[in-house]
Amino acid sequence: MKALIRAEIFKLFRQGKTYYALGALFMIEAVVMISAYFEGNNIIEILLDNLRKSFYFEGTLVNGSLLVYLLLNTLWFHLPLILMIVVSGTLTSEYKDRTLQTVMLQPVVKWKYILSKYIVAILFTLVVVFFLALSSFALSYGIFGKGDLIVYLNTLNFFESSEAIYRLRWSFASGALSMVFFSVSSLTIAVIFKEATKTWIIVAFFLVLSNILLKIDFGSNWYNHFFYAKMNDTWQYFFYNTIPWNLVLHNSLLLSIYTLVTMGLGLYIFHKKDIG
Amino acid sequence: MIVGTKLSKSFGKRKVLDEVSIHCAAGEICGLLGANGAGKTTLFKILFGLITPDSGSFSISSNGVKPIGGIIEKPALYEYLNAYDNIKVFGSIQGVPITKSYVEMLLHKVGLPTDRKDPVAHFSLGMKQRLGIAIALLNNPSCLVLDEPFSGLDPLGVSALRNLIVELAEKENLAIILSSHIIEELSRICHTLVVIKDGKIVNAGPSQQIIANNTDTYAICANNLLASDSIKKYNPVFKGQCVQVTIAADKVSELIQDLHAENIFVTSCTPEINMEKLFETNAL
Repeated sequence: MKALIRAEIFKLFRQGKTYYALGALFMIEAVVMISAYFEGNNIIEILLDNLRKSFYFEGTLVNGSLLVYLLLNTLWFHLPLILMIVVSGTLTSEYKDRTLQTVMLQPVVKWKYILSKYIVAILFTLVVVFFLALSSFALSYGIFGKGDLIVYLNTLNFFESSEAIYRLRWSFASGALSMVFFSVSSLTIAVIFKEATKTWIIVAFFLVLSNILLKIDFGSNWYNHFFYAKMNDTWQYFFYNTIPWNLVLHNSLLLSIYTLVTMGLGLYIFHKKDIG
Repeated sequence: MIVGTKLSKSFGKRKVLDEVSIHCAAGEICGLLGANGAGKTTLFKILFGLITPDSGSFSISSNGVKPIGGIIEKPALYEYLNAYDNIKVFGSIQGVPITKSYVEMLLHKVGLPTDRKDPVAHFSLGMKQRLGIAIALLNNPSCLVLDEPFSGLDPLGVSALRNLIVELAEKENLAIILSSHIIEELSRICHTLVVIKDGKIVNAGPSQQIIANNTDTYAICANNLLASDSIKKYNPVFKGQCVQVTIAADKVSELIQDLHAENIFVTSCTPEINMEKLFETNAL
């Protein structure tokens, strides 16, 4: 199993497309920073227009904390989409180039092979989120400096600088779990559809649909507390005035179960399906 | 030895293999001849365990961890990796300890240069075939299955690969099954031939016997053939320096001797197999 994982990591980092994807992610990071630099003050002004009549604000609110929060918002779409394309590509490219067939001509256990892909997908996702967080903190605080964070979630929430860093860290950790779910889902979609273009379309559709379903409130207790899509904004809970730890724990646990079930489904289908 | 017995497989309503049996002993080269879509690749995929037969069984006598190795259709390699890294990846996933000297030995065995460091995307098809065989030989399988190995190769590539296959059967004592839709490629090196049509075996046996049983005409090339009297009794059809004659297999050597007596020296004598007869008769 270790040898399979090592081989998967080796292949992943020997492919140009992995670096294109990572490059794209950090380009987005740069673009967010540049736009925040030029547009940040205007956004804050619009947000605080009414409040300025009643309160006095000291210092600049376009600071590193706000920038990290803006970059965190790439977790909604940009990051999972790129991760899903890279992760699903680790399997669809093997179907397309028929290297999967060559692998299966060797004495390799099918389910172990696909499990190694899932494990590497999870590791890759965690590493990418970690480096995104690291670079976000380093660049944002390095360029814009520390400061208090203002976040609008139904109401305006203010966090002092140290509290903001604490919450942003936890948010990245929670978001990583969500990213892992999307990466694992994309690999299962690749197992089912095999072909790259079909897989990408389904992956993008799944991501958009998940985001739409997340926003909809059907008024159902079950839907709001147990449906997978509702688990994917848990990282936002860290910007409520008081962190709802019970809810965070419940959602994280449930999302982990959803991830494991999705992975199990992929393992089962891959093991049962003929290759070639 | 590899033995497949009464293997059948359908895709939807279409039966692609119908009770196909095949066997190949150690050190033997068995040729599977069939047109495109005859079921050759499906049979190989079953032997490799890539697809499950609807009925029938197969067994491979082997004590090793890898009873069978081979290539299906074209060699599928990681094009962005070089030859060394391809062997390293495919070797490591099956637990083969990969050292530089081991890789060089493998590359040398299949006749590939050991100093190429560029990605295999730059390799010719012949080189990829050889690398595919090197990967197939990892973990010392007792049986090698090669699907259309000569397809797309230039004459030099075909000749080199043919020599390699014969060498592997003779020196490594491998049971080798080859497929092709071109009989000339198979008849040169295969001990036995199996002819498959629409998923059924229609002819099988020792190569030379199959060729003799299904050959009515021979192409004989020599100078001054027009002057020969002995050739006239075999319905000759002259084509430049060659002549096509209708003759029984056991009479060919007699004709060549007669031509020699007439001071006509034969440069080649090629059986022209009656493909219709080969594919239509002897449904087994």
